[in-house]
Amino acid sequence: MALNDVDVQKQIKHMKAFIAQEANEKAEEIDAKAEEEFYIEKGRLVQTQRLKVMEYFEKKEKQIEQQKKIQMSTVRNQARLKILRARNDLISELMNDAKLRLRMIMADSGVYQGLLFKLVLQGLLRLLEPVVIVRCRPQDHLLVEAAVQKAIPEYMAVSQKCVEVQVDREVHLAVNAAGGVEVYSGNQRIKVSNTLESQLDRLAEQKMPEIRKALFGANPNRKFFV
Amino acid sequence: MTSQSQGIHQLLQAEKRAKDKLEEAKKRKVKRIKQAKDEAMVEIDQYRMQRDKEFRMKQSKIMGSQSNLSEEIEEQTLEKIKELHGSYNKYMESVLAQVLNMVCDVKPEIHLNYRATN
Repeated sequence: MALNDVDVQKQIKHMKAFIAQEANEKAEEIDAKAEEEFYIEKGRLVQTQRLKVMEYFEKKEKQIEQQKKIQMSTVRNQARLKILRARNDLISELMNDAKLRLRMIMADSGVYQGLLFKLVLQGLLRLLEPVVIVRCRPQDHLLVEAAVQKAIPEYMAVSQKCVEVQVDREVHLAVNAAGGVEVYSGNQRIKVSNTLESQLDRLAEQKMPEIRKALFGANPNRKFFV
Repeated sequence: MTSQSQGIHQLLQAEKRAKDKLEEAKKRKVKRIKQAKDEAMVEIDQYRMQRDKEFRMKQSKIMGSQSNLSEEIEEQTLEKIKELHGSYNKYMESVLAQVLNMVCDVKPEIHLNYRATN
């Protein structure tokens, strides 16, 4: 029936203890869970951020490497171009020297006369025209007239053709040109440039590989030499 | 009657205390998790500073070696240009003589396939 006071007190005491016990256990559970989640969360955050940092720096390092490679390549290319330019300058020097020497050689009119004859004849043979105009430096008129007179019979013998040669009295080559002649067809549409400069240029273009080899030595990079 | 309500009162109080205890535990948990975030950030900042230091060292090393290499290349280039000049001076005269000979050596010829038509 109704319990007496003492028993009620005892019951209440038990129930109180039970409630307190349960609360403690639950609180401990919560604490333990908190620790667990602490470590998981911290680990997760550190891991993901760490990866990001690593990726970032790896990318930066790669960029620097690439930049370095590009710069080195540029530097090497510039160096190579510098050398090629120097070589080209030397060749130009050679050509200029050649032009000066030619002028000196042609000061000897005997030599010059002989050469003029050959140049005029070659012009005629190239053109194979019935009417031809020869242009020269103003100071070469006499020499060129003589060369023409000598060349015409030669030409006719070789080609079996007649030719009429006019020495241009209106237009001339530059006074300070090296020499030689320009030979035109009658209507001036076809031109054979047999000036000394043209000779030199043609020769230089044809013989440039040999000239380079003679001046600077063979190119060690050539693998398939003809 | 009063002893009954007293008993109930005591039980209610016990329950309230229990509830408070649980509330405190939950608050501690929230704090702990926030702590996780803070500690993680500290660790990561440290890691980042370390990587940054490593990176800077690498960078200055690479830049240094680069300027060394380009100096080396510059030296080599000047050396080669000097060689070019030397070689040129040595062979220039003979090459020039050959070239001038060839210029003056004009051979007037009619075309290979020419046939006189009369």
